Amino acid sequence: MRKTIPIWVAITLIATIVLSACAPQATPTAAPTSAPVSAAPTSAPVAAPTTAPVVQPTTPPTAVPTEAPVAPGAPLPRSETLYFNGQQWGSVVCWNPYSSNCNNAMAIAQQDNSRVTMFETPYLYDMLDGKQYPLLADGPWAWNADKTAITFKLKKAAHWSDGTPVTADDVAYTWASNVKYGTNPGVNFKDYIDTITAVDPQTVEVKAKLDANGKAVNPLQVFSYLSNAYVIQKAWTQKLEARTGGDATKFLADPADDVVFSGPYHKFFADDTKVVLIRDDNYWGKDASMFGKLPAPKYLAHVIYKDNAAGTTALQAGEVDVSQQFNANVQDLWLKDNLPISTYLPDAPYMIGASLPTAFFNMASYGLDQLAVRKAIAIAVDYNTIIANAMTNQSPTFAQVPRSLMNPTPGEQALYDQSAVKDLQFAGNDIAGAKKLLDDAGIKVGPDGWRYYKGKKLTYVATCPNGWSDWQAAIEVVAAAGKAIGIDITTNYPEWSVYQTQVTNWPLPNKNFDIFMMWSDGAGPTQPWGRIDHLLNSKYAQTKSNWNGNWGGYKNPDADALINAIPSETDPAKLKADYTQLVKIYLTDIPSFTLMYRPQSFHTVNESVWTTFPHQNDGTNPAVPPLDLTDGWSIAGLYNLTLVKK
Amino acid sequence: MKGYRAYFLNKLLWLLVTFVFAFLLNFTLPRLMPGDPVAAIVSRLAQGMSNSTGMKEVYEHYAALFGTNKPILDQFFLYVVNVLHGNFGESFSQFPRPVADIIKSSILWTIGLQFPAIIVGWIIGNALGAIAAYLKGGFDKVLLPVSIFISNLPAFGMAIILLVMFGVDLKWFPTSGGYGFDLIPNFSWNFIWSVIVHYQLPFWSIVLIAIGGQAIGMRSMSIYELNADYIKYSRFMGINDRKIIGYVFRNAMLPQVTGLALSIGTMVGGALFAEIIFSYPGLGYTLYNGILGQDYPLISGATLIITMMVLIANFAIELLYGVIDPRIKAAQAD
Repeated sequence: MRKTIPIWVAITLIATIVLSACAPQATPTAAPTSAPVSAAPTSAPVAAPTTAPVVQPTTPPTAVPTEAPVAPGAPLPRSETLYFNGQQWGSVVCWNPYSSNCNNAMAIAQQDNSRVTMFETPYLYDMLDGKQYPLLADGPWAWNADKTAITFKLKKAAHWSDGTPVTADDVAYTWASNVKYGTNPGVNFKDYIDTITAVDPQTVEVKAKLDANGKAVNPLQVFSYLSNAYVIQKAWTQKLEARTGGDATKFLADPADDVVFSGPYHKFFADDTKVVLIRDDNYWGKDASMFGKLPAPKYLAHVIYKDNAAGTTALQAGEVDVSQQFNANVQDLWLKDNLPISTYLPDAPYMIGASLPTAFFNMASYGLDQLAVRKAIAIAVDYNTIIANAMTNQSPTFAQVPRSLMNPTPGEQALYDQSAVKDLQFAGNDIAGAKKLLDDAGIKVGPDGWRYYKGKKLTYVATCPNGWSDWQAAIEVVAAAGKAIGIDITTNYPEWSVYQTQVTNWPLPNKNFDIFMMWSDGAGPTQPWGRIDHLLNSKYAQTKSNWNGNWGGYKNPDADALINAIPSETDPAKLKADYTQLVKIYLTDIPSFTLMYRPQSFHTVNESVWTTFPHQNDGTNPAVPPLDLTDGWSIAGLYNLTLVKK
Repeated sequence: MKGYRAYFLNKLLWLLVTFVFAFLLNFTLPRLMPGDPVAAIVSRLAQGMSNSTGMKEVYEHYAALFGTNKPILDQFFLYVVNVLHGNFGESFSQFPRPVADIIKSSILWTIGLQFPAIIVGWIIGNALGAIAAYLKGGFDKVLLPVSIFISNLPAFGMAIILLVMFGVDLKWFPTSGGYGFDLIPNFSWNFIWSVIVHYQLPFWSIVLIAIGGQAIGMRSMSIYELNADYIKYSRFMGINDRKIIGYVFRNAMLPQVTGLALSIGTMVGGALFAEIIFSYPGLGYTLYNGILGQDYPLISGATLIITMMVLIANFAIELLYGVIDPRIKAAQAD
């Protein structure tokens, strides 16, 4: 008997492994519950940026204490620290701006609304008006006559944390390194940008890649780079190259604790429980040519919470000032709990919707190649229930913002002719209409109560990743709609690690993958073109390693032609006509359908310590977008903060 | 002593055999999970990327870097080399952080939380169980149902109850973190006090559940022993109660000791629920995320440590048994 003990040990061990894998499924929503908001960009092909904007503080600037940093062990002074949640999940790995693996959400995020706390981009994107405002750059950028190159100047005041000036050479060298070492911006933009060169120390020229006709391959992507990619110091980059011997893997894997930066904050402390940035009081941005002062908080701190519930509890306790996470029923925090908590908009939908979580039809599934079936399912879905359950009303309804390909920001909404597609903009929950549609198409109900197409029962599986609770709630509503019209839709939730491998590799599994959810692009300088490209362009259809979109395999040459023409289109009327036509195609063919709107970032603030956060109609000009005072033009909000008077 | 040597060698042999198999399983099992860890990383990087050829390059870069495109045997040797270097390789999900660094930074929190909780829960639980068995009556009638109730509460349920009662409503204890949300760690009274205060809720959420389970086990064992012939005989002999309780306790303890050794062995796996609900630092949540993200080196590294702890704890107990209980040694040495 005793001889079996080691075997038992082995079994226990296996059980431990298996249990630790299984148990967490019962966990209340863990960190990655919510779908990552795809960070691509907002408005129409943007006009060249306006001149340097003025931050308008609503109250006199706070006196900024500049004494020595707090000693380890002593508490960070509450009145000098701005606390966040929902940005940083898990420990910080590195401080290398070239790497995309640093998991350093407070300092590094090169995206359409880039995070500019530590590293800076030439321009800042403002998702509210769709414009790019100069940061390191001096004044607006400009195309040359034949629209093949962009030129912009750098601010004279801009300097690195070591005191040396930011030069055009730094910009050029950063691009060269991005390409050489295959960084994310390098890989992403090298098909659109040919070279970036220094004309003189203050002037940068960005040459576009040209197509066979000598035109820029994609002008949108060229200027998108200017608010997306950081400028990194040439001297430090060379130092990094020297110590990694030009090896790309080592170059990207370097922890870069010695990195030189140009932004207002840098590393103060990071461990498995928190990350704290401290202000650089020599930050160049206090020069009159930029902000004219330092940002108000001396510290930006982010405690690493392990799920949304813990983050919400901390927000309620006043331990978080800016919350970038989904707080279910956020209005209860002020209506029921009477806490000084608010969102960007005072009433539902509370946030500015920016991306369109979408259900895709697998065009290869039996019967889903039939428009009547796709349309019947899409118009039968009760979207109000999805918005109420999955988003607790933190999404505009389709009555407020009728469906199209645009997100709810005013800039995008203005880009298509709403009256031309009014008849196509279904609002959902139209069970009778859906039944009639199917009956008319000859897809009748059989003796068992389910519908048959050419003698075969219509039965589908709707799916999304397990644990993404808002998406799961939405998928359940889709399944219910199917049942209501006689189409047997069941649900299935694989783990994300499995799901994402399946969804990005055509052909999709022939079982369990008929109707499935994925994200679409948010707000950024190439939008809504980028989102439409990802939703409809045939070039992504039926491919492998497809992280871009059109996962259902939809092909339409007319849509492709319009999508390919838009980036070079300069006539606003023609642009609007093209976008309207695309919306028409999308709402007619229904290869996929939007289930709800989702904000670019969640943005809830607790005003028990700090106040004058960005809110709708707060008087700032240009308006500071609700992106947690860290992303794109939202950083301007840090300069407007004041302390609550006690 | 000859018997003990044979016993020892026998156990050592089994330890080694088990370790080899466990080591193979540590490597194999994570890789049997469906899905692709590199795709998970690429999906994170893919946010906002619009260049499809670029995405393929990124994918291939990481597949080559992590060796997931190599034959499984090559991957195994890579793993063995990394283990022998003591760093377990670089984590996939927290690349380029070495697994050893990840484990090092969280294991102290895990042991600091789990070890005292297991010991305290074990001592209090066993004491209560023995007392209930001995006193019977009212105490037993209250303790048994309460213990059954508490020990069957799911761990996250207990944690949430404590969180809401003492953290949110009464505000006696902080609700999250290993130390004050506004502190930077160092050896100051301020910091240590903060760690102690933050320790309470996760600690008791583990202890309370352990107490219930231990008390039930100890109570049944003690009742069994109390009714054994040798106790009745002792009573007839007029031996005083205190001494009898001593006998009962020692005999009833044996299975409980095995349980203790196993709990201590597996504690490195972390208290997942306590860690998640109180956002307490530790290895459990790291391992959990590693499993979800199919971070093979991290899973293998963490489970290897768990394996070794269980094996060592069990080995130690076996050896102790050989000393404490000659019957076992005699039976095994045959």
